[in-house]
Amino acid sequence: MKVSWLPATLKETRQCASAPRSISFSRQRGVNIRPRNFTTSTKLRAGIAAAEFDFEGQDGEGGKRPPFYARLLPCSPSYFTAQPLFTDNLLAVQTLLERYGNLPTVKPGEAPRVVWRPLADYRDSVGEVVQASKYSKILQVLHRLNHIHPSLMPEPVKDALNEYKRDINPFRNVVKVAPIDKMGRTLGAGRRKASTARAWLVEGTGEVLVNGKSLVDAFGRVHDRESAIWALKATDRVDKYNVWALVMGGGTTGQAEALTLAVGKALMAHEPALKPALRRAGCVTRDPRRVERKKPGHDKARKMPAWVKR
Amino acid sequence: MILRNVAIRHGRSALAAPLRRSFLRSMTTDTLTHETDALDHSVHNHLKETHSIEGNINQLNLTQSFVPPSNAREPSDSIKTDYASQQRLNKRTGKLGATVEKGYVPDALVRNPPKPADVTLELLMASQSHLGHSTSLWNPANQRYIFGIRQGIHIISLEETAAHLRRAAKVVEGVAYHGGLILFVGTRAGQGPAIVKAARLSKGCHLFEKWIPGSITNGDQILAKCDVKVVDKDDVEITSGFEDKVANWKALKPDLVVCVNPLENYIMLHECGLNNIPTIGVIDTDADPTWVTYPIPANDDSLRCIQVIAGVLGRAGQEGQKRRLEAAKTETAEDKKDAANSLRRVAPIAGETAPEQLRGKSSGQELDDIDDEL
Repeated sequence: MKVSWLPATLKETRQCASAPRSISFSRQRGVNIRPRNFTTSTKLRAGIAAAEFDFEGQDGEGGKRPPFYARLLPCSPSYFTAQPLFTDNLLAVQTLLERYGNLPTVKPGEAPRVVWRPLADYRDSVGEVVQASKYSKILQVLHRLNHIHPSLMPEPVKDALNEYKRDINPFRNVVKVAPIDKMGRTLGAGRRKASTARAWLVEGTGEVLVNGKSLVDAFGRVHDRESAIWALKATDRVDKYNVWALVMGGGTTGQAEALTLAVGKALMAHEPALKPALRRAGCVTRDPRRVERKKPGHDKARKMPAWVKR
Repeated sequence: MILRNVAIRHGRSALAAPLRRSFLRSMTTDTLTHETDALDHSVHNHLKETHSIEGNINQLNLTQSFVPPSNAREPSDSIKTDYASQQRLNKRTGKLGATVEKGYVPDALVRNPPKPADVTLELLMASQSHLGHSTSLWNPANQRYIFGIRQGIHIISLEETAAHLRRAAKVVEGVAYHGGLILFVGTRAGQGPAIVKAARLSKGCHLFEKWIPGSITNGDQILAKCDVKVVDKDDVEITSGFEDKVANWKALKPDLVVCVNPLENYIMLHECGLNNIPTIGVIDTDADPTWVTYPIPANDDSLRCIQVIAGVLGRAGQEGQKRRLEAAKTETAEDKKDAANSLRRVAPIAGETAPEQLRGKSSGQELDDIDDEL
């Protein structure tokens, strides 16, 4: 951005505009500033800088002291960044890293797993509009601090880490494993559409009873029969467990697929390591779809009445 | 699916694969009575068939006694003891043996910056302050700072650099002594630590990221949320008596701006010029010295040079603050009376004018000016 290309008239105008103002303002400052000289000469380059300080005309240097008044100062040295709290926070964690960066660390995967506060949360707490990229700078430093060996973690670092941790650590949530009762049974529950199913699984020879009926009697469609014990089939355990199930509500498809989930969960209680295989086979995730409600003005959920001209 | 192709499609795999136990099972139990049922199903449900293959792949042994592998090891206490013993050993034996020459420590200049009195031509040369830009990039206004040309680049005269640096240090010290607000700006990558240190030493402000255009000319909008405080002559915060004034005050403006990379901060320097705020800038051979009030001809591309310059100016500010606090301690009764007098006169218009009013002078002429304005 250069100003030298400005026409001479414009440059002069600017000088004329700025020179008298600096005199008439007469804002009282701690130090005097000599007003910029008024000039009509067309210099090649007009400087944009203010005039120099005039300490000579000031009290203090020549014997007298400067005046001592109450002064207005910014609360934070980061005042002119317009994000003083964020900048101070960043500098604080960087200072910690500078100070404790030499301590022994754990290997990359072995640091305690931590969930940091989300950006929106941080923004709310400081009350400034902080970009994600800037907040990630803080998180980057925190991540490194988190790798300091736990037995040597200094108190200030602990405090700083706690300040940025989420209140709830989701990594401490442990999945509850369904118990195996004294008769060797496990209970799993599943739902699909309007159906609810409970299935008790016990080690056996592959017999299945659904509401007291055999699989063939309970489900007319072959596809539904397969769905009901799909968890056992997909893991090749049809002949290793007996199933006793209760199903309520909904239609046959819903009941069969509710059984898929119920049997799958009961199987997971017996063999937790099967979870990935069962997930791949689709026996873990609940299908959340329900019948869509009918809307006013529609014939069904989405169907519109036929449009007739007049 | 076309039935006559089934044998072609699946025949090979059916022959090759061993007979599955579940399949045998289905034939022996009553759950799937008819063999035809099973065949029918496998023909009609191709998708499920592929799933069954996946089921085969997933075929696992019973895993009831399975214990998942765990990465998380108990933090051993040996690390702590090892570290402590290493520290102890270092402390005891660190000074034994050969004398090691002082090596280059990258952040030494930031941790312990030189004072203005320490500025020597050797220091400036060691920190590469003499290296300018290619001769084709020069700004002729810098001619008087240039020592010569070597290997196609301009060499900045170290004497000029030292003289201008000392003058700038004097200016910073004077502003700090008079209680002015100094802003250090260095927005290039890596300049942050030196800038922050200088600001801390001189109790000023720092800026090491982008200058928000309008922070001075439109400060009331941009810096509206940034808090200000009132301090007395000993820099102790005054908590009561100024609440309404602090609430109504307009955004602060720096009294002196130190910019170590003026090329990237033209807008900021322009705002300073508009507001009559003097500036100090590091002027390389390709920069325009008229952008700043006090140029320091030096290499603005070298972090070491920037660390030296920012450090010297920071130390100068520190000295000025120290002198000011000392002078404030020995404040005379006459000074106090002057101050009280001035405050009483200035206070009524403080709300609607700039904050500099507070540290206004007590000379009679200035007060008369204010009265005229009123």
